[in-house]
Amino acid sequence: MRKLFIQLLLLLGSVGLVAGLVLAPALQRPYLDAFYARFTSPPAGSLVLGTSRSAQAVLPAELQSKLGAHYAGPWLNYAFTLFESPYGPAYLASIRRKLAPTTRHGLFIVAVDPWALSLEWPKEPGQPVVFPEDKSLIGQMQIVSQNPNLEYLAHHLNYPLYQLALHDTTTLERLHPDGWLEIVLPPPTTDTVSLRQRTAEKLATYRPLAAASYLSAARLHNLRQLISFLKLHGQVVVVRLPTGPALAALEKQYQPQFDQLMQRMATSLGAPYLNYIEANYPTNDGNHLWRGAARTFSQRLASDIARLSPD
Amino acid sequence: MLFNSLHFLVFFPVVLGLYFGLPARWRAPLLLVVSYYFYLGWRPIYGLLLAGTTLLDYFSGVRMSRLTTPAQRRPWLYLSLASNVSTLFIFKYFSFFCDTASELATALHFPFAVPLLALALPVGVSFYTFQSVAYIVDVYTGRLRAEQHLGRFALFVAFWPQLVAGPIERGGQMLPQFREPHAFDYGRVASGLRLMAWGMFKKVVIADRLAQMVNPIFDHPHQYNALALALAVAGFTGQIYADFSGYTDIARGAARVLGYQLVLNFRQPYFATSVGDFWRRWHLSLSAWFRDYVYIPLGGSRRGRAHTQLNVFIVFLLSGLWHGASWTFVVWGALHGTYLVAESLTQPVRAALAQRLGLAARPRLLHALGVAATLVLVAYAWIFFRANSLPDAFYISTHLFQGWGQLTSREALTTIGRFFQAYPPEVAVTLAALGLLLIVDLRNEFSTLAARWQRPSTLMRWAGYGTLLLAILLFGVFNSTQFIYFQF
Repeated sequence: MRKLFIQLLLLLGSVGLVAGLVLAPALQRPYLDAFYARFTSPPAGSLVLGTSRSAQAVLPAELQSKLGAHYAGPWLNYAFTLFESPYGPAYLASIRRKLAPTTRHGLFIVAVDPWALSLEWPKEPGQPVVFPEDKSLIGQMQIVSQNPNLEYLAHHLNYPLYQLALHDTTTLERLHPDGWLEIVLPPPTTDTVSLRQRTAEKLATYRPLAAASYLSAARLHNLRQLISFLKLHGQVVVVRLPTGPALAALEKQYQPQFDQLMQRMATSLGAPYLNYIEANYPTNDGNHLWRGAARTFSQRLASDIARLSPD
Repeated sequence: MLFNSLHFLVFFPVVLGLYFGLPARWRAPLLLVVSYYFYLGWRPIYGLLLAGTTLLDYFSGVRMSRLTTPAQRRPWLYLSLASNVSTLFIFKYFSFFCDTASELATALHFPFAVPLLALALPVGVSFYTFQSVAYIVDVYTGRLRAEQHLGRFALFVAFWPQLVAGPIERGGQMLPQFREPHAFDYGRVASGLRLMAWGMFKKVVIADRLAQMVNPIFDHPHQYNALALALAVAGFTGQIYADFSGYTDIARGAARVLGYQLVLNFRQPYFATSVGDFWRRWHLSLSAWFRDYVYIPLGGSRRGRAHTQLNVFIVFLLSGLWHGASWTFVVWGALHGTYLVAESLTQPVRAALAQRLGLAARPRLLHALGVAATLVLVAYAWIFFRANSLPDAFYISTHLFQGWGQLTSREALTTIGRFFQAYPPEVAVTLAALGLLLIVDLRNEFSTLAARWQRPSTLMRWAGYGTLLLAILLFGVFNSTQFIYFQF
């Protein structure tokens, strides 16, 4: 038994060494994919939450530069996608894991929109509520602050490890260490044809979603739970992020009373509600803010929050 | 727990350490405990279902062993069969039959309220209920002595390497093994580990890679041309073999490491020269189960030719339904049943044709034609197995042959490039991995090749093991959820 044990140890050690040599440079690069860095950073004191709109629109670095003296760090954008991180039990559990447990003076940007609080109608009436994201990355990841994050690399990386070594430096997505997802596109004004096409595609995705979905009481309940939980650790600000005018109109059509509902909920929980849906910022695709606009917006958001809490 | 998970990477060495560290008498109880631990990872409540099935079958078996005549034993047989079949029906087929009845009633303008039973399918339920049914029938017929030790019987039902996706073992094969002590044996353990590594390679490097390529096409077939559909069908043909045989290799390897021999489930199925031959090579434990517990009780081939063909067709229809509660699986089973009936009926004509074309004198060519034709038929049937719905399956199976004339070479290249995710290294990795699988299967299929194969030096062998493990690590796709057959 000892002989085999030593042989296996040598074999696995050699394999590990070679793999380590191949992968180590890649794992040290700041941009691995659109999610990884959020799971390798230490537990955070201040968080930006929501879906991809939030992931691309809010730069924690900008918030920190203006508000860092008032709120606990580290600062992290922990927003993913509509598929991964709508408000529900899975996202709430993941946020609980990511938040540094001793945080008392954190700042929590809770970005809301109708999609992040909706569910698709069940195929059969009377079926129990199912949260699709339970089976996604956010629902599955148990370890959210480990570097390198073996759980992520083993189960959730969207491509084989060898592709890390052949890393494409012209990648479109750049996930910053503070969790901001930068989409490397030129200003929308320089290529209006592509912008129109991307906007049309985005709307074509969201229109059927509006037809197939409803604002879910279960998700709203989870949002309330989340805000209540975060309030134990600092200040919560509920934010409606700016988006493209066509999508904003579709959201208005889908959920006309959404802003009033959010305002009421935020007020009842003692959190301010900042609504930027009417604000005009350039987007990449009619939904997500262009990276330059995201920086400007984050500065404005930081200023508005600073005015909320002058102390 | 999945074999291709980090959890298993910790579980297996810990189990191994405990297993060989404990005195022999404690090893079987340990295996029982870890088997339940392995299973409860999915949904703990279904552990109760497994335990309930085990207890009922155990007591039925014990009771039958104390009764002398078949008439006395029969109620216990029926009780056990009813329990197993109803478990399977409630958890796997209830919604399917209700939906079908509802659709039929709607079509006939007949009011019918569908009772709703939203139950998740317990992992492996089709496998362990079939294993239990085989045991109870064998005890009833006297082919097997009932196991009197509850723990040993529970381990037979829940043995973790084969609990969730087979092979479907027989009591006569496994129960004696649970009575024997299994000392550490270097050769056996090393051979088991090699088999596990090879199975893992097939799963994560081949099957899951192909899955990423074929899934988008099967999910939205209407968006793709005939070439893309053909690539998806070919890709799934490779995927399902690598996936299921990979799982089986890991299961058999893990059992072998622990000292247990599980039955062979695959014998190079894509080298089959006929569909009948295919079923003597694919999922052997299931084919044997249907032969022994459905085909032969139906009369087998004892009641004339027409009855034999009918029995074959029924068996494959049921086999299709066993794979999943969906019309796609039923059609898949029916298609294979039709192939086999047609194969049997046309056998004299085909033999005469081969004679006339001079193929009978060229057995190698005839063999190759048989392999190619069988592969095409089997691949075509996989469309129904994989498609998300019957309309999708019909769409793929018909549009597969349309539009080839209009396909330009530029379009063809774009389609192939997109299939490989527009990432050139993937083409090389995929083809190299499939090439390795083909070489290994060729060596296993043809004894002359195996005889020529010289055992490499120790250094070369260990370098090979290292390369295999490195390939799994670097080229493996680890973000897929589970093995295809886990859903059955």
